[in-house]
This record gives sequence, structure tokens and C-alpha cells, in this order.
Amino acid sequence: MKILAILVGKIIILIGKIFHKGSSLPGKVALKIYPDLLKNFQYPSIRIVVTGSSGKGSTTKLIAETIKNTKTVCYNSSGANLSWGITTALLEHASLNGHIKTDALVLEVDERYTKTILPYIKPDYLVITNLTKDQPPRQHYIDLVYDDIVKSIPKNSLIITNMDDPYLRNFAKDLKNKIVYYSLAKNKYSYKKQIFENLNIYHCPYCNSKLKYSYYNIETLGNYKCPNCSFTYEEPQYIGKNLDLTKMTFTINNEIINIGGDMLYNAYNTLASYTCLAQLNLDFTSINNSLNNLNKLPSKDFINDNKTFRAISCKAENASTYNQAIFKVMHDQDKKDIIIGWLEISRRYNHYDISWLYDIEFELLNNSSLNKIYVCGIDALNIKQRLLLANIKNEKIVMGENIASIKEKVLHSKASKVYGILNFDYVKPFEEAFKKKEE
Amino acid sequence: MIKIAHLYPELLTLYGENGNIKALTKELTKNKQKYSLTNINLEDEINFSEYDFIYIGSGRPKNLELVKNHLMKYEKDILTYINSHKILLATGNALSIFDFLNLYEIEKYPEFITADIKATTPLVKEEIKGFQNTEWLIKNCDNPFIDIIEGYGNSKTTKEGYYKNNFYVTSIIGPILARNPKLNNYFVKLLISVNKDKNII
Repeated sequence: MKILAILVGKIIILIGKIFHKGSSLPGKVALKIYPDLLKNFQYPSIRIVVTGSSGKGSTTKLIAETIKNTKTVCYNSSGANLSWGITTALLEHASLNGHIKTDALVLEVDERYTKTILPYIKPDYLVITNLTKDQPPRQHYIDLVYDDIVKSIPKNSLIITNMDDPYLRNFAKDLKNKIVYYSLAKNKYSYKKQIFENLNIYHCPYCNSKLKYSYYNIETLGNYKCPNCSFTYEEPQYIGKNLDLTKMTFTINNEIINIGGDMLYNAYNTLASYTCLAQLNLDFTSINNSLNNLNKLPSKDFINDNKTFRAISCKAENASTYNQAIFKVMHDQDKKDIIIGWLEISRRYNHYDISWLYDIEFELLNNSSLNKIYVCGIDALNIKQRLLLANIKNEKIVMGENIASIKEKVLHSKASKVYGILNFDYVKPFEEAFKKKEE
Repeated sequence: MIKIAHLYPELLTLYGENGNIKALTKELTKNKQKYSLTNINLEDEINFSEYDFIYIGSGRPKNLELVKNHLMKYEKDILTYINSHKILLATGNALSIFDFLNLYEIEKYPEFITADIKATTPLVKEEIKGFQNTEWLIKNCDNPFIDIIEGYGNSKTTKEGYYKNNFYVTSIIGPILARNPKLNNYFVKLLISVNKDKNII
């Protein structure tokens, strides 16, 4: 059955290639024919899995593309990170007897699917980027996601995760696995007094005392200490220093490294990738060169009629990604318009839950540099109601059916900058509306 | 001065539930009412008689347990507070905390109850909108205050929530006050009248 499943999967991949269509169908069919397929592949000697609430795709790409410089790699570059998508990626590189013919396997795995993937793949390295509030109707709360991951981690896997988040220290509390941490040092964007609300963790995972922070990088990430027990931030080996989001760089071991964007998560994803790659005995110069090369991206800003436009792509139902966007926008003192909206909230279910809007700190946008906020799409009214409760004045909020409907107002406004804080499905409409057509 | 207490905003942090406090205080300001808002956490002592409105929202089960242990020592104070017709609103899975008062019973379900809510309540004329995302519901009881059109009531019937005097418990999130302005207004008016009575006494 195994050979049949692999053969059928490979034929479907081939047909897809002929018609230029990629999907998770090959994996779906192969698993239907032989449900134990994942258990019965022979995996490469280097096995890396990346999981977490966000940042999985970028981190996986940086790791996989760097390893590719010297080795052959199987990875789910399409971002399909559930069982079917992962099986499809494996089928591409599998021989008919199930041998994955690459030197390394690098997989992005959905955090709720770790239990069906990790026990079979037995990764040498497991990168956990973060665990944040995400898709509440599906995930409910992060302890459930944490429990799924913690139960599925093989005992020999080395865990790579973020020292800055006290919640992630639970892995050290509950497991005997070796853990290698990374951290983003205090930087010019760090702050002393918490500015976000409704966060995942305020208390010590060991004794429940309220944690004290000497600084925050964002939300719960920072330098923390329990006043009542020995639990504390411990400086790890891999630290990103001298963060500069304008230049889009930081330094590790005094070497300047491109982080590939001007958001804090770009820095954290690069750090996670660096730390993982450093475990593979690759020399630091080649890691630095590869990351610098992969992260060498042009600025995402564009100019139209003397206004600077910028779309920030967020993940719907994930308040942390919106908080990062707001954190970026609030640091810009120029007179600005902001467009907030999305086409739809979720493709995975039909529930209509907007509670996550109240986990986003829209209050931080309420300052003198704000000109107008345009709210668009299916939740325009809900976003407006949320903004009003953030004490943003009614006259500053403009509603529109979609981005095209507010285009002229935005182009003729007093603001010199326009930020789109958008679900990924509104980035293209934003760019189509405001990018000048090339002549 | 109206005194509001938000119980455990650093432990019960799920589903944007502090939106209920934002909606309530915004409406109080609109009504030119002065208020104070006190955040109460595990390390604080609670003097229930000080407050006119107490709110408690959804949290992770581990934290609900911590909160329950902290609140149980105030059993008598909470019952006195409820019997003096002051307002206590518990939403979402915070309903699981107060079973120790023995006013209603709760049931834990093996699967999460996630549902869009359409409902009515005798408190206001508008249809109630919201969401359910909980492992717990109240067991069938004599004092529900919500009639479910879509979603799940107590013991999965069409009657939802529990009330006694001005103690209101519901599994509905939204946040319920932020998404239902008339219900929010009902609580604001009730709060203003409770506060006036307090001043007369």
C-alpha cells in the first residue's frame, strides 16, 4: 500500500505540474490510500521543524534556503503546513520505497498539527517562534496549543525558542529536552511601562507572582524577573543587538545582519533562523552572508502624489500581529492616514467572532499625528465601534465599502503618509488602489 | 462617584473581554457620570462593599482556578453584595468561577462550545449579538435571563444565563456590552440608579 500511495501521490504531483497547479491534493490522496504513510517514510539525517502562532513561514524559508547553499533540502515552500501539505512536500522528494532523498528536511508545521507530525519526523531541531492568541474559535486559548506541542515533542529534539517570552519558558519547566534560546536586546524601541493590555502572561510560571520587567520589547517580550522565586530572564548565547528598524538591521556577535523588514517580528524571525542554523555547525560567516542575502529586500514603501504609502500585512484573528503593526505606526510622527480592513476573517470556519478586535491596542493610534482612519470591508462598522471605544474621535473615522471607495479621499487628504493595517487579503487591493501604474 | 471594580484583568485576559469595561465607562462619560475604575489582582484584598459595579470576564482554566481560590474566601461578602442589589456581571467562562456560591450549577463539556449568538432578553428590546467560546455552561436553572435564538443555552436548552437581583452571569462574549449598545445602556442606567440610591441612604 505504501508504494501505491507514493506512486499515486507522485502521479498527481506530475499532473499538477503539467497544468501549473500546486495543491495539497497529492498528500491527501496518498494519506487516504495509506494513512500510516508519515510513519513509514525514511527521513533525512538532518530534520528541522518550525512551529508557532506566527512567523513560521519566514523562519522556515530562511533556514531552508541557507542550508540549500551546501546541501539538498526538502521543505514545504508553499506554506501548506497541515498533514496533507507536508505529505505532498515529502512525496516530491521520496523514492517509491519512501526514502526522502535529500540531505535535510525543513518543515513548517501548523501548531495544532504538531501531534500528528512530530512523533514520526522526530526533528533534531524544533524551532518554536512564539505562542500568541490566534484564531480564538479554533484555538480557544494558548494553553491548549501549548499542551498539544509539549506532548508531541520527542525527547531527543533540541528546542530553539525565544528567551524574551516568559510563557515559552514553560517548555523548560515541563520538559527535560535541551533548549537553546535567543533574545532581542534592549533597543531604541523598548519601553519601561507596559502599553498593551489583555496579554497572555503577567505571572511567574513557577510561583504565580507578578513578574517585574526592566524593559519591554513588545507585549510580554522583554527582560523579566520573578520577585519571589529564582525565575528570571537569562542572557542567552544568541542575542540580536543594535536593532535599527529604519535600516532593517541588527547585529549578532558584532556582525551587521539584514532582518528583511522594518517590523519587530522580522528581527525575531531572523534570530530564530540564525540560532537554528548555528546548531548545524555551519560557519558563522556563511550564515551571515546567506541571511544578509535572503533578507536583502527593497523597502515596501511606495510614493504616489508626494505621499508615502505602506501596507502592513497582518494575520486576521491574531491580535499580536496587529499590535506589531500599531507599534510600528505609532513610532512614526509624520501626519498620517491609516486604512484598516479585510475581505474576510477566516476561511477555515463560518463563525463570526470579533472579540479579537478588543485584544488589539488601537488606543495607541490616538495621538496628534493621526489625521484620519479609514475603515473598510466586511467589518468596517465593527472596527469603527472598536476605534470609538479607543477614544478616537468620530470625525477622524471614515467608513468605506472597500479600499477603492475611499481612494480619492485618501489621495486628497492632508496626510503625508498612508499606512494600511490590513489582513493579507487587503494588501493587493491597497497596492492596486494607490500604486502608480508603470508607464 | 460610581465605583467600578474589574476583577483580575491580568489573569482573565481572553477574548477582549475588557471591551465590556471600555463600553461601560465610555457610556458613563457620555452620561456625565464620574466614576473610578479599580483593577483587582491576586495580590489585592477586595472590599466588596466599596463597589457599585463589579465585572469579571473570560480566562484560561489555570487562571480561573487561581481566581476561584482567591475569591472563595469572600463567599459571604459576595452574597451580601448580591443581596444588596449591587451589580456584578460575569461573562464567558467566568461563569465557572461562581458555582461555589451555590446559586447555580455548572456543566463542563468534552468539546468546546463555539457558536454565534442571536438572542433576546427581557432587559432590552434589541436582539443580542455575540459569541460563545467555552467549555462550561450553566446547568438548567430557574433564573435565566436570555432567550437563545441561535447558540446554546443552559444545558444546551434555549434559556441562557443566571440572574439574582443585579448579579448577572452569561456565557456570551462579544464583548457583550460593546456589541450590544442597548444592553450596555441598560447597565449604565441601572448603575446610575444604584449609585443614586446609595447616596440617598
